[in-house]
This record gives sequence, structure tokens and C-alpha cells, in this order.
Amino acid sequence: MSVQNPAASKSELTLVSRETQVKEWLLAALFFSCAFVAVLGVALIFAFVGWKAWPILGEVGFGDFLFGTVWAPSDGSFGILALIQGSFVVTLGALALGTPLAVGTAVFLSEIATPRIRSFVRPAVELLAGIPSVVYGFFGVVLLRPLIGELTGSVGFGPLTAWIVLAIMIVPTIAALSEDALRSIPMGIREASYAMGATQWQTIYKVVVPAAKIGIIDAIILGMGRAIGETMAVLMLVGNAPQFFAGVGEPVSTLTSQIVMDMGYSTGTHRTALFGMAAILFVISMALVLMVRLLSRLRD
Amino acid sequence: MYSLVAGFLVCVGLLSGCSSGHDSTTQLIVTGSTTILPIAEQAAEGYQKANPGTSVLVSGQGSSAGIEAVMTGTSEIGSSSRDLKPEEEGKGLVDTPIAFDGIAVIVNPSNPISGLTVEQLRAIFSGEVSNWKQLGGEDRDIDLVNRDEASGTREAFKKIVMTDDAKFDRSAVVLPGTGQVRDVVARAPGAIGYISVGFVAPRFGSLPVKALPVDGVEPTKATVTSKKYPIARTLHFFTKGEPTGLTAKFIEYVLSDKVQQGVVVDAGFVPVSDRDGR
Repeated sequence: MSVQNPAASKSELTLVSRETQVKEWLLAALFFSCAFVAVLGVALIFAFVGWKAWPILGEVGFGDFLFGTVWAPSDGSFGILALIQGSFVVTLGALALGTPLAVGTAVFLSEIATPRIRSFVRPAVELLAGIPSVVYGFFGVVLLRPLIGELTGSVGFGPLTAWIVLAIMIVPTIAALSEDALRSIPMGIREASYAMGATQWQTIYKVVVPAAKIGIIDAIILGMGRAIGETMAVLMLVGNAPQFFAGVGEPVSTLTSQIVMDMGYSTGTHRTALFGMAAILFVISMALVLMVRLLSRLRD
Repeated sequence: MYSLVAGFLVCVGLLSGCSSGHDSTTQLIVTGSTTILPIAEQAAEGYQKANPGTSVLVSGQGSSAGIEAVMTGTSEIGSSSRDLKPEEEGKGLVDTPIAFDGIAVIVNPSNPISGLTVEQLRAIFSGEVSNWKQLGGEDRDIDLVNRDEASGTREAFKKIVMTDDAKFDRSAVVLPGTGQVRDVVARAPGAIGYISVGFVAPRFGSLPVKALPVDGVEPTKATVTSKKYPIARTLHFFTKGEPTGLTAKFIEYVLSDKVQQGVVVDAGFVPVSDRDGR
């Protein structure tokens, strides 16, 4: 439909009035600006973090910052390797515990559960995602920490406590996305498997799960993104000692928790170093998103 | 972390304050030490009750955060449980001491140890001593519980105990609040930490902790007042320039007998007048 001048073509039959066309155009502009806000937000945060973090290269140096082993801002030592290691130790441990739980949940929901059972298990899992992380942290500190303390013979702050709480926290993310992946497998594939005489279990682990493999890996990567960025619960549970991993019951610190601990009072190079850590987190999460995109291209 | 939540609430308060026009004649912001939090909160409540229409917003994010906030002007009063650092001096901050406090060294009540010296404390917190057996206690690992670097309690403890370039053991658990240190030590048999004397006695049904005599002196109100107890300090309110208006009135209220002999004593601290007068 081409734009027409109503004055010039009054006699012509117009299917869409001028008013409607303007409305359509305005709505398109509105939705474009909605999408643009998200892009602008990412770009601004990226630029701001980068701009604030940039001086760290001159003040501390790339190598001393990224590979320095001692984080002691009050002594002028700004090495974040122990914090990076802490972030990965906490995240990977949580994934190791949480992934089987979440994929198991997804398989149950998609393949085994009757609609009745599904109708209350699924909302329960979704509700898990809605609980604020400070509540998870509180639960961990009050209930879990004393138990872990007795188990490991320490005060109970450390990776093990964080793993268990984070594992529960990432279940909704991984379970929901894995379930989508499993449900997108056409029924015909299952029917073919049953027709070959396979049992339900054989169908699940030899046919359905392998077919949904890439979708499940996607889900795990997004769960990892959730875990590595988690701050409040981690801060409450890891013990916040900026040292290298020394045991499941010994305190560690992570990039996110250290930023929150220090941001209230840091100044000068210390503040710049915190922005440097934020930039590292940004790069890690960008890498994770990139991996997901590459994988979905692989699936298509 | 509760202090962080409190800080967030203050931020929200600030924002809402902005929209309605932040008015320094009716609104006052006090940020800083978690040690001073109980005094500041109860004094704020009392002051608001006595002066309807004014609001005093109190948050605890650590002494350094308080000093930073008053310097940048985001708070009218920065509460601090440590003195100014050399780099913070000469920037126009005016100090009003509001109470005295001792830092008690606390262990789990099941720990049989009956006292420590400042030298022993230094060895413990720098990680040189790692088992209670080395100090005459039972054979059990020492679990260090330290405060974060923004803490005035940590700063004061460091200044008095960690002399001769002694460094805090980096493997110690770091917790961002007095209450959390107390709770962990109350539950973990091998733990040792330090908190303000005012927080030692159990309140609201919390578990007991054992405060150890240091150099043979029990941390009590009397020993803190007489300066016999070695780990003692002053609690401060810092303002940018001499306090005026609502800020001055609030400080006056905090220094009044009502608050000093009421809230300050109830919280387990020593009123400023007690040391000045005697």
C-alpha cells in the first residue's frame, strides 16, 4: 500500500486510511525504540565500565592485574587471579551439582510426568526462580553453613556451601530451557523408538536426550552465566577471603562478591580495579552468550 | 550485608528525597559504622518522635563508607568507629566523639581458653599460630573470623593489635558485619573473632559468646572507661565543617544525657561524659 495524498486522490478507493497508516508507523517506531533501549543500555554500560576500567592498565598493568596472586588493596596490591579462580571454582562446582538435578527435572517433566503431576511440579520449579537471592543466601547461612561446618571441621564458609545453594538457584534456568529443548523433539522420533521395541528409559537416554543435546548444552551455558554473575548469595556464603582454592570448607572470594564488599569505600586505583573486575565479568558473560549463539547456529 | 540492604534503602530514600526536593532542614542522613548503628538508629527514632516532621535516615556500611559519604556530601553525618587516616585528615571534617568502646575478643563458649595477650592475638590473627593447643587450649584448628576492610572495628583492631607490620592472615573468613561475626563465633567451636564490647551480651535470644580477658583485663565498662583494657577506641560522628541546623540539633540530642545514659549505656558502650568527667 503506497502512501497517498487524500486531497489529491479523494475519488480513489483507499483500503487503509491515512490515520491508520500514521498509527502503524508510530507503533513501529515505538517498538523500535523499545528494542533500541536494550541495545543502548548494553552499549552505555560497556562504554562506562570500559572507560572506568581502562586506567588500570597504566596504574597496575595488565599482567599484574590479571595474573597477580595477591588482592590486598590496602597494601596497594591488586592481583585478581585468586578472585577469577574463586569465581570459576564456585560456578563450575554449582554446575556439576545443579546440572544433573536440572536435566533430570526436565526429563521428568517432558517425558515421564502425567499432566496432573506436571501441573504442580512445573510451577514449583518456576517459583524457585522467583525467590530473591538474598533469601537463598540467608537460608544457606542459617541452615546449611553450620552443617557444612561440622562436616568439614571449619566455620562452614566456602565453596561447598556456595555450590549447594547455587546449584538449587540455577535449576530453574537449566530445567526450563532443557524442557523446551526436549519438548521440541517431534513425537515421531519417540514413536519410532518404541516401535523398535525400546523401553521408555532406552528411548530417553538413547534417543530423546541425544537429539536435544545442543539445546541442553545451551541451557547449561545460560545456567553458568546465572551462576557466575550471582552476587548476594555468594557474598553471604563463600567467606570472602581472597585466597586460592584450598579445600571445599576453606573460604574463597569471587569477582562479584569482592566488588560488592569493596565498592562502598574504595577510591582511586582500588575503585579502578573494581571496574576492571567488572570488565572481566562482562567479557566472560559475552563469551558465554557468543557460545550459545554459535551452538544454536550449529543446531540449525 | 544487612548493612548493604540498609544502604540500598537509603539510596531509595535519597531518590525519593530528590523527587520531593531534599530538604536539609527536615531530613538528615547518617551513614557509616555498623558498630554505631544501634546508637544511631535508636537516637534517630527518639529524635523523630520528639520532633515530628523531621526524618533521620540511618545506614551502616562501614566506617570508611561513612567518611567517604560525608566527604562527598551524600550524607550529613558520617559515623565512624575509627580515627581518620592520614589521607583523610585536613579535608575539613569535624570530629564529635559520641561514645567510647572496647573491642572484645570473642570465642565459642565451649572453648576452654581463659585469656590471651596482645602478642598472642597478633600471632593468631597473622596466622602464625593455627591450633588452640599452641595456646594451652584443646587440639583444634583456629578458625579466624575477620571483618572487611571498610570496617572501623577492623581498622581499630589492626592499629592496636597488629603492630610491627603484622598482617592479617589472608585465609581468614571475611564477614561484612558485627552481627555476623558474633553469630558465626557463637556456633563454630574453633572460631575466634573480635566485636565491639557492646555486642557481646546476647540479645533477642541470640547464642552466647565468650569474651576473653586481654593481658589479664576483662573487657567491661569499667575497664574500658579507665583505659585499663588495651583494645579501646572512640566512636565518632564526622561532619563536613562545624555542624549546623538539623545536623547540630541531632548531634546535641545524641550527646544529651537522655541518649548517653539511655541508648549508649543500653547498647553496652561508655558515654563520653563518663571519661571526661572523672
